[in-house]
Amino acid sequence: MTNDTIDQDAGDTLAAVARLLRHAAVRAWAQAEVEGPRSHLHLLGLGIHIASCQAVAMLPACADLEGQPPAQDDIAQLLRAAEELTRAIPVLDQAAGISPLVVAICDLMREATP
Amino acid sequence: MKRQDERSVGELLLDADFTTRQILMDVTGDDAPAMLRTWGEVVQSASELWATLPQPFRGTTSPIDGVTVARLESMSQAMHRNQIRRGWPGDGPSDERLLHVAETLTRAADLIGRRGGHIGPTDPAVRADLDAARMRIMHTLYVGAHSVGVAAQQHVADVELATTRGMPSRECRAVPRGQDAINRLAAFEQLAGAYVGNQFARAVQGEHVHGPYGSERLQQALIGWDIQAHRTLATNPTPANLVLASRTQAGIATAAAAILHAGARTGHVDAHAYEHRLAPTLDATQQAWTQVATRWAEMTTPAGRTDLDLVHAAGELRAAVREVAHDKTTWARPEVMAGRVDLGEAAQHLQQALSTAVDVACVIRDVAAEDPNLTGPARAMSHRANADIDRAAGRGHRGKDVVWVTGHSPCCATVARPQTQ
Repeated sequence: MTNDTIDQDAGDTLAAVARLLRHAAVRAWAQAEVEGPRSHLHLLGLGIHIASCQAVAMLPACADLEGQPPAQDDIAQLLRAAEELTRAIPVLDQAAGISPLVVAICDLMREATP
Repeated sequence: MKRQDERSVGELLLDADFTTRQILMDVTGDDAPAMLRTWGEVVQSASELWATLPQPFRGTTSPIDGVTVARLESMSQAMHRNQIRRGWPGDGPSDERLLHVAETLTRAADLIGRRGGHIGPTDPAVRADLDAARMRIMHTLYVGAHSVGVAAQQHVADVELATTRGMPSRECRAVPRGQDAINRLAAFEQLAGAYVGNQFARAVQGEHVHGPYGSERLQQALIGWDIQAHRTLATNPTPANLVLASRTQAGIATAAAAILHAGARTGHVDAHAYEHRLAPTLDATQQAWTQVATRWAEMTTPAGRTDLDLVHAAGELRAAVREVAHDKTTWARPEVMAGRVDLGEAAQHLQQALSTAVDVACVIRDVAAEDPNLTGPARAMSHRANADIDRAAGRGHRGKDVVWVTGHSPCCATVARPQTQ
C-alpha cells in the first residue's frame, strides 16, 4: 500500500519518522536479545516495528527510506525524536493515518520510559 | 499584569494538540479522576470553537462534519451526567493540563469571534485552512480521549489490584464506574478517529466499539493473527511480511513464557511441567523465531512494504498480550495477571496458538525453499551466502551444498538456495 497524495515536505518528514522508528525497533530487539528470550523488550520492539510499518504505508512508493542510521541508541530518545518530527506533519486527508501513528508513538514512549 | 496572548489561531491549535500528546506520554492511573472531571470542558470548548469557524460554502464540505462534532459533544455530556448520577469520580481538583487545552481552544474561539468575521470561505486557500483547523481540532479530541481512556484503564487496574489486598469496598466502586467510562471513551475515540482517519463510513456502519476483554480478547487476537499470517504469506510472501510474521511469532513465545510463568506461580499451571518442559521449549522456540526474523531482515530493503492487514493483526495481538501481561513498562507480577484473567484459560489459548505456529513455520520454510520470485539486496545476500559456505566448510561439508545467487540488478538478487549435489 502506498500514498501518492501526501505533500513532499510531509512525506520527507514522515520518511524520517519511519527511519527513526525502524532504528528504535532494531535497538529494542538488540537489547532484548542480550536480556534473553523472556525480555519484555521483544514486545516493545514489535510495537515499534508495527508503528514504523504504519508510517511507511503512508508514504509514496518513491519515498527515500535509505540513509545512515541515527546516532543515538536510546530507545526513548529515538521515540521522542520521532514524535517531535510528527509535529511538523499537517493533519489532513492526504496524511490520513497520522493521528493513529501519533497515538501509537506516544503510547510506546510511555511504555519505554520507566 | 498578565501578558497578552498574541498567538494565532493556528498556533493555539498546535499548542492544544501538543499538550494532549504530552499528557498521553506522561499519564498515570492516579490522573484519571481529575482527567474525567475535566474532559467535558475540553469537548465543550472544542465544540464551541468548531461552531465559530465559518461554515462551508454551499455544501463544499459534507454535512457529516458538523454531525460528528455534535455527536461527540452529546457523548461527552452523557458521560458527564452519568458521572454525576453515580457519584464517581466525585468532587475534586481538575486536571490542569486538560484545563489548559480547554482554555487554549476557548482562546482560539474568542480570536475568531472577534477578528474572523470577515473570513470568506469561498476562497480555496481559506477553505483549506478551515479544513486543516477542523482536522486539528478533531485530532486533538482523538489524542485527548485516548489519554483519558489510558488513565481510566490504569486507574481501574490499580484499584483492582488494591482490592485483592483488602481495599475498602467504598473505593472498589471505581472499578465498574471506571469500566463504564473506558467504554464511553473508546466509543468517543473511535468516532473522532474515524474522522481524522477518513473512515467515517466504517464508523457509522457499526464497526465494533467495545471489544472483548482479557483471555477472550487474547484468544480472538491469536486466532486472527494465525488466519492473517496464513493469508498474507500465501499471497504475498515478501521479506518484509516474513520479518513481521517471524517477529510476531517470537513475541507469542515470549508472551507465552511470561503468562505460563505467572500461571505456574499462582497454581493455574503445573509448576514442575512449566519449569522442566514448557519454559525451556518456549525459550528455544522464541530464539528460533528470532533467528528466522533476523535472517529475513537481512533480505529486506528499507523501502519494503508490509501488508497492512498483517500489521493490524500483529498490533491487535500485541495489545491483547499487554492487556493481560504488562504493567506500565514491564511484565505484570503473577498475582496481577491472575487478577485480570483466568491464567489456566489463557494458557490453553496460547498452547493452541503455539501448535498452529508449526504450520506457519512450514509455510515460511516452503517460501525459503521454493518461491522462485524471492529477491533481496545483492550485498546482504552475498554476505549471507559467503557466511553459509564458510560455516559449511568449517563443518567439513565442502562440496555438499552450493549456494546460488543470481544477480538481476546492482541492488537486487534472487534468493540464495542451497542445492544438494
